[in-house]
Amino acid sequence: MADPILVVIFLRGGADSLSVVSPTGDPSYIAARPESLRVSRQGDTPGLILPAALADVDFRLHPAAGELSELFNAGDLSILHATGLTLATRSHFEAETKIEQGVPGGNQGGWLGRWMNHVQPGGPLPALAVGTSMTESLRGSRAAVAPDLSGLALAAGHWLAPALEARLRAGFGAHDRLGATMQDVLALSQVLKDRYWQPDQGSMRDYAPDVEYPDDTDLAASLRTVAQSIKEDLGLRIATVDYGGWDTHVNQAGDFPGLLSGLSRSLMAFWRDLGPRQQDVAVVVQSEFGRRLRSNDSGGTDHGRAGVMLVLGPQARGGRLLGRWPGLENAALEEGADLAVTTDYRDVLTEVLTGHMRLDRPDLIFPGLTHVPVGLYG
Amino acid sequence: MLNRREFLASAVMAAMLRPGAAMAQAAAANPDDVFLNRLTFGATAADRAALAQMGRAAWLDDQLARPAGDPQIAAVLDTLRLRIEYEAGDDGEGGAWPAVNELRPLAALSADPATLLPLLDWETPMDYSERARPAEEVILAALTRAVHAPAQLREVMTQFWHDHFNVDSSRDEFVAVFFPSHDAMLRDHALGNFRQMLGDVARSPSMLIYLNNAESAASPANENYARELLELHTLGAPHYFNEFYDRWNEVPLDDEGVAQGYIDEDVYEVARAFTGWTVGDGRWISEGVLSDMSGRFYYAEAWHDPYQKRVLGIAFQPNRAPMADGDQVLDILAHHPGTARFVCTKIARRLLADEPDPDLIERMAVLFRDQWQAPDQIAQVVRLLVLDPGFDVPPGKLRRPFEFLAALYRASGVQVGGISNDYHWQLAQSGWLQHTFPPPTGHPDTLEDWLSGTVILRLVDLALYAHDDWFGCTTTRLSSLIPPDMRTLADLGRDWSVRCSGQPQDAMPDLWTAMEALPDDPLPKDEGSRHDLAAMSLAYAALTPQFLFR
Repeated sequence: MADPILVVIFLRGGADSLSVVSPTGDPSYIAARPESLRVSRQGDTPGLILPAALADVDFRLHPAAGELSELFNAGDLSILHATGLTLATRSHFEAETKIEQGVPGGNQGGWLGRWMNHVQPGGPLPALAVGTSMTESLRGSRAAVAPDLSGLALAAGHWLAPALEARLRAGFGAHDRLGATMQDVLALSQVLKDRYWQPDQGSMRDYAPDVEYPDDTDLAASLRTVAQSIKEDLGLRIATVDYGGWDTHVNQAGDFPGLLSGLSRSLMAFWRDLGPRQQDVAVVVQSEFGRRLRSNDSGGTDHGRAGVMLVLGPQARGGRLLGRWPGLENAALEEGADLAVTTDYRDVLTEVLTGHMRLDRPDLIFPGLTHVPVGLYG
Repeated sequence: MLNRREFLASAVMAAMLRPGAAMAQAAAANPDDVFLNRLTFGATAADRAALAQMGRAAWLDDQLARPAGDPQIAAVLDTLRLRIEYEAGDDGEGGAWPAVNELRPLAALSADPATLLPLLDWETPMDYSERARPAEEVILAALTRAVHAPAQLREVMTQFWHDHFNVDSSRDEFVAVFFPSHDAMLRDHALGNFRQMLGDVARSPSMLIYLNNAESAASPANENYARELLELHTLGAPHYFNEFYDRWNEVPLDDEGVAQGYIDEDVYEVARAFTGWTVGDGRWISEGVLSDMSGRFYYAEAWHDPYQKRVLGIAFQPNRAPMADGDQVLDILAHHPGTARFVCTKIARRLLADEPDPDLIERMAVLFRDQWQAPDQIAQVVRLLVLDPGFDVPPGKLRRPFEFLAALYRASGVQVGGISNDYHWQLAQSGWLQHTFPPPTGHPDTLEDWLSGTVILRLVDLALYAHDDWFGCTTTRLSSLIPPDMRTLADLGRDWSVRCSGQPQDAMPDLWTAMEALPDDPLPKDEGSRHDLAAMSLAYAALTPQFLFR
């Protein structure tokens, strides 16, 4: 059995959970939003029916999430509603940091960083933050950071590259701040050049995926890099992927469907590209918070509370809507305004770590958490 | 070309350098260069001479006194031409435009924004790149200013405020069209008064559109700008006291009876205070009423929520004069001790160190608050910081990609003035998005944020390629900058070492070995070789702790 792999996609900006998976029949929901900011049961584009209802409000996936619906119906995708931080914050940056650190107080790195330090996986590329900056969740580990693997080769093709490498090793190998990063990047650069450098072409070999990825969203390119790292056996165990643009204070009716469709199509392409390697992979999708139940006067929604998490992977018993639905009547809302958080996001991640990643000590990753089962596995 | 034997030789030489050697070099960084590298986009020979002659205080005062409208940089910008190129097209409704491929001056930089409003008219068919053009001009000018502006400290602080009051100029055509006036406004106030700047930022059409306040009307108000005003522009996240979310009257007060921090209820109230603050671009306000066509701020009374409010524990009366609610919010925030601490911490973090001395920040914050109505408030705070003995510490901040690129050009002395914004794409590969950073936080500012293999490798690429013709930023050949009396390869290495670090310590023997040459070999005569050798020397000189850190 191959080592399990975890991919975490973070929807930056606060994805509107009430539009991803909508309580289409809830009178409070219908009253709080114009039709353009709701998922409907009728009309040209009705919501996609979710067979396993969590409560009697006819939950439906947004019509732009056709592929997510397919994955759900195939039993690969689990949906967990009303999840998030139990301590209220409506600040993007505070909510993201708290979620990614996963422990109050800070200074203990990110939750994935703690997993890395506990498990200490080997291989040339045990962890990758896809993008140009380290994600908070991987903080504290020596994860690689790159939008694509070819960018991790030092001065690829330049005739002075070996001399430059020696220069950097001599100048920075023992540098107090840059040394560790420099050693890691030079070592990984060599591995990648050994594997992908084509002397006759003068370029790095491109990855040839087994499916076509969407070309209209950055998420697809990021997931393509993750699929490459998995399928080409670089020892990948953890990948983080950011997908931004969800802060829909205005023009939500125009922007949201495209964002969700980008997620839905990219995730499906990634999943199909993995082929048999699906067996080794779990994908978690989360955001820092959901959005206000009542829309504002400028065609959008402001920062709210509970979000929705998605878990994709064959180990979980998918095709189910999990969590506890608090309802949307005024008394059930947090501060009278927002969908209440009824499931601590760490309870979901704990089960992914134990159920999929086969971790026996989740208390090292989320110290102080008294785990409340959400029933994702088994 | 490097063969295996030569490669081994260079590896052996590298191994012979003791591990501690790099640290010893870093510790020995030239203190005057460190001083200049903190306050400019990179020390040049001219800066070093001026500093040596004037001394630090006089050099600083000269920089602080330089106005935003500098004729020397204006003359440089006048000579720039930015290519605009698109194919013939149509808007699908009968409107069409011809293909264009031409070099155009940067006319939008100083244009009255009202004259740019036709770019927002979708009845007039045109390619989108025409509508986005004003922002593109600012992006081209940004690098030229960073490299060539004599008022370097003002440019450093302008970039600081661009990140502090971040706007993504590529968000849409509205933000793009108004972006030159946003840029000019920040440059005007960069060393001036924070309250004045805050008021102009709150009225800046680019900001109003980027953070959606331009669409905020009663009711419910749009909270986007209000939240970032509190969290990013003034009090900062350290003063978000949301543990008191439902107990506003328990939030601790400062010595003047104002709440020490804010909660979500303050965000909601501040959002109400700014309802109706929108843009004069002819937009629909109410039946029969459009905003004016000033290309500037417009107050829409009909959108304003006029009733009583409570901001940081202070009661606002209902039905006040136009804009009184918003302006009082800005007064409270600009004078708040939390704002003073937050902004001064960020200034010290930018100019000095990731974790500045708390005592120094406190002294800056006291001055910031005492001088909150002084026209040179920010200059005074910067002066306190820079002339403090605590400013004289070893470098610990990695040059971020834009700063690294500008510093390369300042060190080499080439004339920068490309005809394209390809440099923007190059920097984006390392996470630097000049004037197009999407989240409102602006670019991060600590070493940890930039400490990754990707960033380091992209800096290596910049060092290697920034002076190539194809890179598109300069047409100056480095061969033309080699002094006539230069004899050997070792001399060349030492010359570039001086330009980059102020110290002639590196004859670069490993570079010459890798090129199958000896340090005492004479410089070749042909122009192509001389340019290439200079480019390699420059890359070697730049990839040192002294040049990467400031």
